[in-house]
Amino acid sequence: MQAPSEGISLNSGLPQMIHLDLDIKDFCTDWTHCDLMSGYIARMVSHNRLDSLLFSNLYSSALNELLEAVYRTHGSSGKLQCAVQRDGNVDRIELTFPADEETYKVYEAAIAKVNGDNAETLYLEALFADAEPDASLGLLELGVDYGARLAIGRNEDGRMSLVAELVLEDDAE
Amino acid sequence: MIADNMTQAFQWTFNENDQEFSLHGSLRPQRADELNGCFSAMEQSVAKVSGKFYVNVRRLVRMNNVAFHAFAGKILDLVRSRSDLSVHVTTSSVVGWATRKFAVLETMSDKITVSEYDNEFYPGQSFVEDSEFIHVLRTQTKLTWRHEKELLRKHGLKPGMQVADICCGIGDFAVLLQKEFEPDRLVALDHSRSSLDYARRVAADFGIRGIDYVFGDAADMLLEDNQFDFVTCRHSLQVFDQPELILKELYRICKPGGRVYVTNEKNSHCLGEPRSESIQWTYNEVAKLWHHFDMDIEIGPKSRRLLIDGGFQNVTIGSFMVTNTDGDPQDFADVIASWKNLFAGKMAQERGDSPEFIERFAKGFDDHIFAALHPKGYAGWPIWVASGRKPL
Repeated sequence: MQAPSEGISLNSGLPQMIHLDLDIKDFCTDWTHCDLMSGYIARMVSHNRLDSLLFSNLYSSALNELLEAVYRTHGSSGKLQCAVQRDGNVDRIELTFPADEETYKVYEAAIAKVNGDNAETLYLEALFADAEPDASLGLLELGVDYGARLAIGRNEDGRMSLVAELVLEDDAE
Repeated sequence: MIADNMTQAFQWTFNENDQEFSLHGSLRPQRADELNGCFSAMEQSVAKVSGKFYVNVRRLVRMNNVAFHAFAGKILDLVRSRSDLSVHVTTSSVVGWATRKFAVLETMSDKITVSEYDNEFYPGQSFVEDSEFIHVLRTQTKLTWRHEKELLRKHGLKPGMQVADICCGIGDFAVLLQKEFEPDRLVALDHSRSSLDYARRVAADFGIRGIDYVFGDAADMLLEDNQFDFVTCRHSLQVFDQPELILKELYRICKPGGRVYVTNEKNSHCLGEPRSESIQWTYNEVAKLWHHFDMDIEIGPKSRRLLIDGGFQNVTIGSFMVTNTDGDPQDFADVIASWKNLFAGKMAQERGDSPEFIERFAKGFDDHIFAALHPKGYAGWPIWVASGRKPL
């Protein structure tokens, strides 16, 4: 099991708000699934926030980047699970998806960049690089721009978990 | 132009007069080449531009990193390949991620600037956000509510509806709506963070739950289409220099068959006895003062035309007069006193009016207060109420 980012538990005891479960192959039949899922979940979890529209838009943007990363980089078969939880004003998103060793290493490298001292520099480099962005750009953005805490972990069933904890508004009702 | 193969409709327009290229909608492509049509249009547009090229992303609600990466590269190419060109990106404070995200462009070239479009949106916003004005806004709502409570029913508002109060200000009308009509959903939107903070505090103090106070630009709302049975927008078209843009948005968020309800004033029709001539003169000057700040305080009777031109059907309009006989005359007098402080104070001074003019201008308000508090006097403030149905 990969050591998570400090303070993030890969098995949080928080109650589930929403849990979506689908086959990774079905998910990857259409790019717009990322947008649809992120928009749907964002709307569902935003109703009791201080400013539901602003929160929903930020949440959707963050979740979409995570889903796009998984869409591009994942193992060949198995379930994709998306579980969202909340503790006060901390929102926790956990994506669990099939991942072979090569896939896991991609995320391992990306998370190392996010949690490194020069994440902001790496983010700007990736943002203005000539090559099209890879999975790390969205994760770097979450870490640098959204102040998200990110972690990964290896599951025994051949899947991996990608966890993000975000604070999208200062005070919630 | 519309690229309809994107996740959601994504559009771009070019205004040659303003040298402004605007992006609208949701932009989450899988590959950068999905943006080629837009980039071609941008290249054609910028070919006609010299000096500053404006890129307006105020209505760009969503954008993934694939799109941003491609756009950032395109904008950098522009300023690097054209020595005569600089680029200014305008974002919106309403779209939470946009300013942060686009601001990084400034770090890449001193020929790129980024700013957040905000305060200048409502010409009168700085006036109505003044904390002194909150008291008068609350008193105004108290005075108008006794009329509107029944009028709202006549215009079609019923319990259990999905309701939006756009330009909700300090949110007191939304609280009254919530108590009286118990809507299934009530969204109250305003473009003033300080007013919304106040509204949330008041709702919490009063134990009112269920009102969703949201920050937003009434002319560019993030609310989705066809959501609400009843949309209210009170005393707000008059503080906006392009009221038809707000009406277009009210129409968009209203369900087909739902109604949009607007109230507006015609301040020159304020009246009082005794001292009617002085009162009349001052309120005619109020209309001119507002016009100076690009606001139309005379819009009340024009509401019918605005609604018909906006595509509404079954448009109904009427007016009511808030008077000193509606309850405690002191409430009416307090409202006029606050108008005097604002109109003959901050606004007249900002326009550069002479002390002689301000003295005469202020006297009309004093005379209106005199009429309101006179045991045999009568003072009135007329308000026009109009609503229209969005076609099925």
